[in-house]
Amino acid sequence: MDYSQVSATDQMNRSEESQMIIMEEFLDEDAAQVERLRRTLAARRHRRQTALPEAAGPPEPRTQERGRDKMAAPPPDAAPPAPRDLPPAPSTSRASFAECSVRERMREKLKAARSKAEINALQEDSSPHPRRSKSIRERKTEVKMDKTVQNDFPSAEEAYNFFTFSFDPEPESIKAGARKRNGLSEEEEAEEECVEANEDEEEEDKTDEDVRLVKDDDLFMIGQTAEDLVVMKPADYESYSEQLKKEKEFLFIPSKLTVSASEKMPGNMQPRYLEDEGIYTGERPSVSQSNQNILENRILRQEQGKKWFGDDGKILALPNPIKQSSTRPPIFSLEEAIAPELETVYAKAIKMTAANQYLVGPGDFQGPFQLDIDISGLIFTHHPCFSREHVLAAKLAQLYDQYLARKQKNLTELLTGKLDALRNAVQCSIDGGGAGVPVAQQRIPEYKLEIRQTRRLRDAEEEKDRMLLKTIIKVWKQIKSLRDFQKFTNTPMKLYLRKEETDQRLDEKRYEAEIQAEINELLEECTEEYEKKRAEYETELQKWKSWKKIQKSKKKKKKDINEEESVENYDLDEEPVKPIPPKKANILEIEQQVREKAASCRRKPGEPAVIPELVLSGSITPTELCPQAEVLRREDVKKRSAFIKVLFNSKEVSRTVTRPISSDFRVHFGQIFNLQIFNWPESLKLQIYDTVGKSSTTLLAEVFIPVPETTVLTGSAPMEEIEFSSNQRVMLDHEGVGSGVSFSFEADGSNKMTLMTSGKVSNSVSWAVGEKGIPLIPPVSQQNTGIPSSLKNIDAIASIGTSGLTDMKKLAKWAAEAKLDPNDPNNAALMKLIMVATSGEAQVPDYFRLEPLQQEFNFVSDEEFNRSKRFRLLQLRNGEVAEFRNYKQVPLHEREISEKIFQDYEKRLQERDVIDSKNVIDAHRAVVANYLQKVRESVINRFLIAKHHFILSDLVNEEEIPSLGILGLGLLKLTETKRPLKPKRKERKKVTAQNLSDGDIKLLVNIVRAYHIPVRKSVMSKLQQPSKSSRSFNEMFAAVPSAQSPADSPDWAFNQVLVRPFVEVSFQRTVCQTTTAEGPNPNWNEELELPFRAPNGDYSTHSLQSVKDEVFINVFDEVLHDAVEGDHERGSGIHAHVERHWLGCVKIPFTTIYFQGRIDGTFKMDIPPVLLGYSKEKNMGLERGYDSVRNLREGSYITLFITIEPQLIPGESVREKFDTQEDEKLLQAAEKYEAECTSKFPNRQCLTTVIDLSGKTVFITRYIKPLNPPQELLDATPNSSQTVAELVARYVALIPFLPDSVSFAGICDLWSTSDQFLYLLSGDEEEHAVLLCNYFLGMGKKAWLIIGSAIPEGPTAYVLTLEQGQYVVWNPSTGCFYGQYDTFCPLQNVYCLISCDNIWFNMQDYDSPVRINFDTSKPKLWKSFFSRSLPYPGLYSVQPEELVYQHSDKAAAVELQGRIEKLLKDKIMEWRPRHLTRWNRYCTSTLRNFLPLLEQNQGKDVEDDHEAELQKQLGDYRVSGFPIHRPFTEVRPLIEAVHSTGVHTIDISNVEFALAVYVHAYPQNVFSVWIYVASLVRNK
Amino acid sequence: MAEVHIIGQIVGGSGFPQRRLFCKWGLHAGGAWKLLSGLGSGQTQVDDPQVDDVAYWCHPLDVHFATKGLQGWPKLHLQVWHQDGLGRSEVLGYGFCHIPATPGCHSLACVTWRPRGTLWERLSQSLVGGGPQLRAPETSTTGAADRFRLRTEAAGTVHLQLGVLLRHFGRYGIEC
Repeated sequence: MDYSQVSATDQMNRSEESQMIIMEEFLDEDAAQVERLRRTLAARRHRRQTALPEAAGPPEPRTQERGRDKMAAPPPDAAPPAPRDLPPAPSTSRASFAECSVRERMREKLKAARSKAEINALQEDSSPHPRRSKSIRERKTEVKMDKTVQNDFPSAEEAYNFFTFSFDPEPESIKAGARKRNGLSEEEEAEEECVEANEDEEEEDKTDEDVRLVKDDDLFMIGQTAEDLVVMKPADYESYSEQLKKEKEFLFIPSKLTVSASEKMPGNMQPRYLEDEGIYTGERPSVSQSNQNILENRILRQEQGKKWFGDDGKILALPNPIKQSSTRPPIFSLEEAIAPELETVYAKAIKMTAANQYLVGPGDFQGPFQLDIDISGLIFTHHPCFSREHVLAAKLAQLYDQYLARKQKNLTELLTGKLDALRNAVQCSIDGGGAGVPVAQQRIPEYKLEIRQTRRLRDAEEEKDRMLLKTIIKVWKQIKSLRDFQKFTNTPMKLYLRKEETDQRLDEKRYEAEIQAEINELLEECTEEYEKKRAEYETELQKWKSWKKIQKSKKKKKKDINEEESVENYDLDEEPVKPIPPKKANILEIEQQVREKAASCRRKPGEPAVIPELVLSGSITPTELCPQAEVLRREDVKKRSAFIKVLFNSKEVSRTVTRPISSDFRVHFGQIFNLQIFNWPESLKLQIYDTVGKSSTTLLAEVFIPVPETTVLTGSAPMEEIEFSSNQRVMLDHEGVGSGVSFSFEADGSNKMTLMTSGKVSNSVSWAVGEKGIPLIPPVSQQNTGIPSSLKNIDAIASIGTSGLTDMKKLAKWAAEAKLDPNDPNNAALMKLIMVATSGEAQVPDYFRLEPLQQEFNFVSDEEFNRSKRFRLLQLRNGEVAEFRNYKQVPLHEREISEKIFQDYEKRLQERDVIDSKNVIDAHRAVVANYLQKVRESVINRFLIAKHHFILSDLVNEEEIPSLGILGLGLLKLTETKRPLKPKRKERKKVTAQNLSDGDIKLLVNIVRAYHIPVRKSVMSKLQQPSKSSRSFNEMFAAVPSAQSPADSPDWAFNQVLVRPFVEVSFQRTVCQTTTAEGPNPNWNEELELPFRAPNGDYSTHSLQSVKDEVFINVFDEVLHDAVEGDHERGSGIHAHVERHWLGCVKIPFTTIYFQGRIDGTFKMDIPPVLLGYSKEKNMGLERGYDSVRNLREGSYITLFITIEPQLIPGESVREKFDTQEDEKLLQAAEKYEAECTSKFPNRQCLTTVIDLSGKTVFITRYIKPLNPPQELLDATPNSSQTVAELVARYVALIPFLPDSVSFAGICDLWSTSDQFLYLLSGDEEEHAVLLCNYFLGMGKKAWLIIGSAIPEGPTAYVLTLEQGQYVVWNPSTGCFYGQYDTFCPLQNVYCLISCDNIWFNMQDYDSPVRINFDTSKPKLWKSFFSRSLPYPGLYSVQPEELVYQHSDKAAAVELQGRIEKLLKDKIMEWRPRHLTRWNRYCTSTLRNFLPLLEQNQGKDVEDDHEAELQKQLGDYRVSGFPIHRPFTEVRPLIEAVHSTGVHTIDISNVEFALAVYVHAYPQNVFSVWIYVASLVRNK
Repeated sequence: MAEVHIIGQIVGGSGFPQRRLFCKWGLHAGGAWKLLSGLGSGQTQVDDPQVDDVAYWCHPLDVHFATKGLQGWPKLHLQVWHQDGLGRSEVLGYGFCHIPATPGCHSLACVTWRPRGTLWERLSQSLVGGGPQLRAPETSTTGAADRFRLRTEAAGTVHLQLGVLLRHFGRYGIEC
């Protein structure tokens, strides 16, 4: 063991192996020495043991053993006296021991120890401290302590030592320091410790005084030994080259040179590339080539190195050995990405927008989202201004684009390559692996199948290529000929055909080889098929034969078994067809086929390959050289420009600048719009507008842009071209071919083509990226795409977006387009999914479960949960469903809720979709009702949110704080007269509806008086024959009184039997009645009080607005009949029957009262045209010449005052902004106009825009347009325009009336167009008025729409016509008309007039029709909307060109008539359960004859001779009855009408009834229903 | 089929650094729960206390739940906002607490916290208002993500008084 070697090993740390070897050597030597030492020790111990068995005691051998085991230390008593022990020995001297000398020293010591041991063995008794050996391993201090303790009796020397010795405090630490300095290895350290131990022992052993005392000697000795022991040596150095040489022995360095393939492969093998054969080989991770080479070289050196290489000469490896997940634990830092749900944003302090329904988040502002729309340009592929050449050029460009795209894909080449590879692979596996590899054998059919498919694809592609080329050339030829023909050039297009010469021989060879290969394959295929068919045939034949046999045997049996069975058997076994043997394929045929196909779709051998090249280098003929038509065209093009509007959720958000269309029909915009949005985009739309010159702008087309997926961000979004086309028809008078116009390239005009304006918009839409790279995308949860969680692991989601997942076909398409490798194990899951999906058995779960374990913990099943009536009731009530709104006190127990509660609701839900189709008419009406219901619901839903949206004034009612002024006024009040002569009307205090309850609200009806109540006819007048008066407009409105027949006037003048009318008011099943007055002009002046109950006790404005109840004011005549039969009883008492006869009624809907606050006026009573037993006082005025009285004309009137106590505040209708297609300017002008008008006359309603059925704002004049009335009506009375007008008005009035202020509960009016109105057959005043106005215009009259207010409708629409210098006001919903100066005209205020091209607002002081001038030409009186400053822009109408009517259906009318009659008769009998109801057949038939006459005369002016007629027929009867006229909507209202007249209430025993129904059909299924009811009592 | 009826009020908030506070609240319950009636979320008025720093809202809560399971017991999410003198609003604290599961009256104090922004954010918060907000306050309570990344500071306390009525829980073996 030499030190130099050790240091060498230190230096050569790199090569461990060698070091190890050296170390071993060293250790061996060391060990040998230790071994030697051990042996001597063992011998000595043996001796000692035998000598001192009792003195040592039991622990002794153990401690010794341990000491030896641990460090092979010499026995304690073996140490010789060491020089170092002496106190003056400086520690520095120890440190100065050179490293090398340590061993030297040790060796000497060992030698000394050995000799000493021998000596000691002889004088054992002198070392009696075996126990001390234990402490050897302990710290030295301890040892010393030990020593002092154990030497119980310190000897003199020890005592001397104790006081003279200066203990070295921590020699160990010094030693450690030295060790560090010297950099000794462990072994050395151990050794040193041995030395130390020796020293220790020596120390202990020096008990002999003399050594201790002789101090000077020892000191001297140290000085000597230091020099003796240390040898200076130069640093050992090994030169680098030597080092390398040494290393070479141990190390192998593989070379970096590439290994040739032949070395890696087993002999005579060609490398085979699996990838080329179409087999999936994964992508290897990239390893640098040199590293790879090193590895290969190393492997090759090993035994069987070649087995590490695969067929392709590459090292066998997993496709991707990289671990998926990192094994290193992630390091977190706070700056790193935070989890998205914990992310914070710095939000500025925001002003809350009022309506939070627009915010995306659940009520929390989430910052604006931004959508970037980049509109770069517009290319027209067809434009009306295209010349013929342009058309062709566009076609050529398109084809060329297609060509380029195909070329880029180069499918043919790809497929050919694949085919070759596959063929090679087949060849390989047949030739090479043949017998040995079963896998390869199995693959062959697979390959073959693939070859077939690939070939088919390749052929198709080739054919397409060729066709495309041909078409391109054809179009180019056409262009050339056209240019020649027209002698100028319009487009810079030029097509070059480059020919590439090919080597004919080579080509031919390849061609032939290809054909041969194909033939072979086809042949193989055919034979295969033949084999298969043959096998099939065999089996079939076998079957057939066996069947024959059975048949034969059966025939034999047939004779024994009876007939029936055999027949059955015959039926059961159908005779199988005898199979036909298949044909074998013919090689010649196949060859012919192949050659034909090749000739058609492949380039012929030797034919040069043609490559078209399109350039735009041609020159365009300058304009001066062109013919006139072309010059015109070019000028037209210059005039044109285009711009694009961007619509977000169908609202215009921005538009591009208007750019001219260049001569090549391209428009460049290059604008980017940043849309900051709040709600999730539902639609993105571009509207392309075309402007000609400066004036007209036309909408060319609308293009919908898909809303980008959330992964599409600005910067990464590609430009997309979206095609559009417009169906506009443009015809031009110059060279331009127009659009939607057919033209032809041929001279003879054949082969016509029609092109529509079309083009492409190139744009890109993407989500913006905010600061810090956060995409400004609203959370996707807004969309309702639930992503099935099972699909989440598929990567495809990222690329096609989540919506693609729902559509498996789209996914499959994507997979096909992305050329996914089906063998790639990464795609396995996806491919499987697609395969499953496309094969039709999609297993994708269509649900998504949020809490998968919920079900296990449920108390009850879902069904039971949903069945709970109580919960349902609570929910419905909470949801404000109409039936359950304000439902009070939901029962606590399930059993207390009856099923019946839901019946109505469920019925309504069911009926919503079920259409009762009893007959044609009803079905139509049911459909309409359904439709209306749906419209209504959608409108209500739209407004629901707005309705729940309160403003401050809704919630806070702040009383004005009394100011000084008010106080002053209050003081002044003291001085006022207590009862002023002219009292002022005090405005009643209005009450908000919220804190009201049942009984708080009362309806006050003040019935003042009535005029012209029909009077009872005396029996005397039964033979009168009043002349039928003929009226005309002149007659009616001129002041000249007409010569009415006064024949019957003397009669009634002296008649004592007048009439005793009383009024009955019924409202919400409460009935009140006045006292009975007398005479035809009674004066009651009575106030009736009726309680009002809101539905379900809900007094909110919303609920009050939708109250559908009406106030019925019925006028009855009280008739007293002497009930006493016979004269003899007369004296004793009065017995009289009181009968009441219905005379007429007025209906006022509650909502009208609610909205108006009060109703005050004189109303025309709805009186049947004929009242049997009564006569109308036609000529009461009797030439008194008072216009006012004369104007009463026929009809009775009643003066009423109705109000609600306390006064309620009507709800304000919600004013919402709607979508519109109107021009912005027009809307602004309309707003301004409205503001101006209302500022002057705040009470007058100014209407400029209305809302149509689809919820869009439409300018009002668009509704007015001349329309044709039904021809049948015009034909009815061709000569009199006035009667026709009346008939038309009547027709319009017959269309059922449905107020939408009720159905849309104070929300808004929806205006339907006339055709919608006629289809729906229901509408309110506006629709009626618009239709009537349009009809009048269509008939050539001057007509306007009046927007005003009337009694009792409130705000309404009437029609104004100009008839021979007189203005006539028409009530469209009744068909009545009034002169301008008619006092009883229900129209009270006129606000504006609307014609088809203008709106006039009433600027006069008064607005009553009587007091205003209707001359709209005076700007001071009427403020017009369109004037010189704002000319009428020519708005197109929303009405149809022409109305088409269904012819009146007579048969349906007759059928309906019968049905109604039967039903009514049944009902009347039902209403009289305790009496016998007799029907008088004679009377019925007579009545039936009257009805058509009534219809013919429109209920007016009929002869009053019904009674006479009846009496003639029936004899002496007291008849009372009347016809009721209704437009037909449903049967139920008719029944109600009959019931309300109370005809059935007569309970005289011998009463008889008569009832006749007549239904008259008008075009478009409008029916007029007449019901004649009468009761007859035979006069005694 | 069990029912939970919560009647109570959001009394107010105390210990917030600002006055003029209002509170947005929302009740969130699991899939087994069905809101029979009442509002599931809302917002109080702004209270500007003049005397001490307790903002009183006394905002009524009246919610009726039906449930078919215990999972997802309803919890109340609170957000305390501050409206400054310019009428702008900013978040002062987020708080979450479960609706007590025992019937009876409960006085709850829901402590709130708010995200603590960077130095710059804090500076601008003190100067121009606004402040860091949770991007998704709904999900931040449910997800078990690395919550330690979110640095918050304590905001004030929202005081609630809730009366809880339970019904039919005993029928399904749940003792209240």
